[in-house]
Amino acid sequence: MENTKSTKMNIAYFDNSATTRPTNEVIERVTQCIKEGYFNPAALYKPAFDIEQQINRCRNLIKSKISAEQVYFTSGGTEANNLAIFGSLKHKRQKGTILYSAGEHPSVVNACLELLNLGFKAQTIPYTVEGIIDLSSFEDLLSDDIQLVCIMHVNNETGAIQPLHEAVQLVRSKAPDAHIHVDGVQGFLRVPFNMRFFDINSYSLSGHKIHALKGIGALALSKGSKLSPILFGGNQENGLRSGTENVPGILSLLAAIENFPANPSMRSLKLQLYKRLKESIPTLSVNGPVPDSQQAAPHILNVSLPPVRSETMLHALEADNVYVGIGSACSSKKQRISTVLQSMGIDKTDAQSAIRISLGLLNTQVDADKLINSCVSAYDKLKHYVRR
Amino acid sequence: MRQLLMVRYGEIYLKGQNRPFFLNLLRQRLKKAVLPYGGVVTLSDGRYYVTNYSDEHATIQAIQKVFGVHSLCIAVEMSKESFEDIQNTAADMIDGYNGTFKVQSRRSDKRYSLTSPEINREIGAYILNRHPHLSVDVHNPDHVMSVEIRDHAYLYIKILSGPGGMPVGSNGKATLLLSAGIDSPVAGYLIAKRGVELSAVHFFSYPYTGERSKDKVIQLASKLSAYCCGMKLYIIPFTEIQMEIYQKSFSDHTTLIMRRFMMRLAERIALLDGAQALITGESIGQVASQTMEAIVCTDAVVNKPVFRPLIGFDKVDIIRLAEEIDTYETSCLPYEDCCTVFTPKHPVTRPKIERVLKAEAPLDIDALIDRAIKGVEVIEL
Repeated sequence: MENTKSTKMNIAYFDNSATTRPTNEVIERVTQCIKEGYFNPAALYKPAFDIEQQINRCRNLIKSKISAEQVYFTSGGTEANNLAIFGSLKHKRQKGTILYSAGEHPSVVNACLELLNLGFKAQTIPYTVEGIIDLSSFEDLLSDDIQLVCIMHVNNETGAIQPLHEAVQLVRSKAPDAHIHVDGVQGFLRVPFNMRFFDINSYSLSGHKIHALKGIGALALSKGSKLSPILFGGNQENGLRSGTENVPGILSLLAAIENFPANPSMRSLKLQLYKRLKESIPTLSVNGPVPDSQQAAPHILNVSLPPVRSETMLHALEADNVYVGIGSACSSKKQRISTVLQSMGIDKTDAQSAIRISLGLLNTQVDADKLINSCVSAYDKLKHYVRR
Repeated sequence: MRQLLMVRYGEIYLKGQNRPFFLNLLRQRLKKAVLPYGGVVTLSDGRYYVTNYSDEHATIQAIQKVFGVHSLCIAVEMSKESFEDIQNTAADMIDGYNGTFKVQSRRSDKRYSLTSPEINREIGAYILNRHPHLSVDVHNPDHVMSVEIRDHAYLYIKILSGPGGMPVGSNGKATLLLSAGIDSPVAGYLIAKRGVELSAVHFFSYPYTGERSKDKVIQLASKLSAYCCGMKLYIIPFTEIQMEIYQKSFSDHTTLIMRRFMMRLAERIALLDGAQALITGESIGQVASQTMEAIVCTDAVVNKPVFRPLIGFDKVDIIRLAEEIDTYETSCLPYEDCCTVFTPKHPVTRPKIERVLKAEAPLDIDALIDRAIKGVEVIEL
């Protein structure tokens, strides 16, 4: 792992919730797979069988990590979410209501909105100011008409960890037949999760958020949870996801999971970033839960630095090879604000100056120092310019 | 017999003794436009002929962006000796068409055995005989079968329009102030159409705008460049000037003073680039910096003439033109533009020059301009 930490051109990359840099282990496994393991896993000869075995090794590893009954590989988080949403409702005779949390990823929101065209109803579960689902409002929305509930485990913009345990208990008592889907793309391996413990029906994950390749993801199912396919073809993945398996992708995921440390140091680095930035930038406010609370993910820190606009800060940091994320882009004509921050009731000025610092396994103390120096000096320079 | 593109020129017809200069220039422009597709351009008997091209669709599209071209058509060139062959070819060409038609012939070879009315009649009758489902309408036909008897016979049905105007380079050179908006590319297009060679300047406000918005301007300039036979784009760093104005001037005058800096910088580039005038996309009264008083104040800082081809246009008309020249969609790309920080909430709309000068007084104008010019990035398009 150590040798991968030296970054090219002294880049300090803090946009790991957008995507991550593949680790050396991943690159090696993928290179070997492309060179030597190119066989179609469905073929009958031994090298193909060996590949199939490796695919199943990855499948079993994911199963054991989250106590899943079944795991199906997909092209990524978006497909996994779509498969869970459409696949769980396909065999339902009655068109009921779907609930999804206010900060869901577009691959969940837009799939749910598409269901409106098929006769379903959809409602949003509101967020509190900390970006956590409002359990009392959620309870009011529940009834036996609910067929699907989608809750993202860790919000991709704020890092807020959702109270799955409480939420599931509410669903099971008031809508016992509902399918519960959890988008685990930002949480997998970074925030503890157990399908059996939480009593979740389906859980999606994505490879490129944990240093594997883009184009690979998975949908995990709990015992007894049923899904119908949304793609049809050669009946791979037990008929649920046809299409020749993305072998390099799956093996990249295997390498990434095998090498993911049990206790990554992301949380302490994040807390240090927060503390040092707060000391130098008095206007800083956190969007999401208090960074050192149990509700805050170890790798995402969303802060507003008014009056400096998000894009301006992003570009200023970019000049120093420091890369962070922002929720959305602004334009002089359309003042767009992140829907997640909006749903939390974050004030417009704060929302327009929000940046997302997201950490990965490869971030170092040197990166953190670079981010802080760059951010503080840009802030000191740019804070004087406010529209008047 | 072969297929070729026949290209007609427009306003050059009006030229007298200097017509050869314009014809030669247009030939050069056409040659450059079709070069990527291997086309050969010849001028004969008042028409340009483009032959030996590889991609017909792309070649036509390229010719349709050459100012000075009035129209073009895909024509069949064949020997004029056998009139029967001509009739046959005309009948083959109109195969698949429905409705009414007429034959329209021209005869620059006056020694040809048939007169134009005779050609029309004979070919018309032949076509009717071969395609009885067609009928003749000499007043308002659906299709016109054109036959030109020159050193060869040329036959064509569809005429495609060209952009009109005058060949680029026939009317001097100017520098366009190119923003990422809708208006300035249209202004550049209209001036280039009159034969003016263009260069463009863009003011870049990093970190208030980023690489994507710079790329948007490059895309716009490339679209314009297709009409302009190439263009230099000068990207001028502008943030320091904006920050200085913000700190030292009256807040309601910042946009106006910024515009004055842009004009000064554009004039400096024009001098470097050998351009004789400046072009802006301003339309009177569209925004605060485009009122009559504001335009007078921005003009006052430059000696070169400033052309504003959109000055009397409504926004809807500008948008229509932008759609026609295919810059509208690019102009509307929503990349970040956080320069609103430097735009006052209540800008002065009726500025007075005395107060403008007072607002500018604390600024070291020459030093700021010099530093900005030193940081210029030049992109050849």
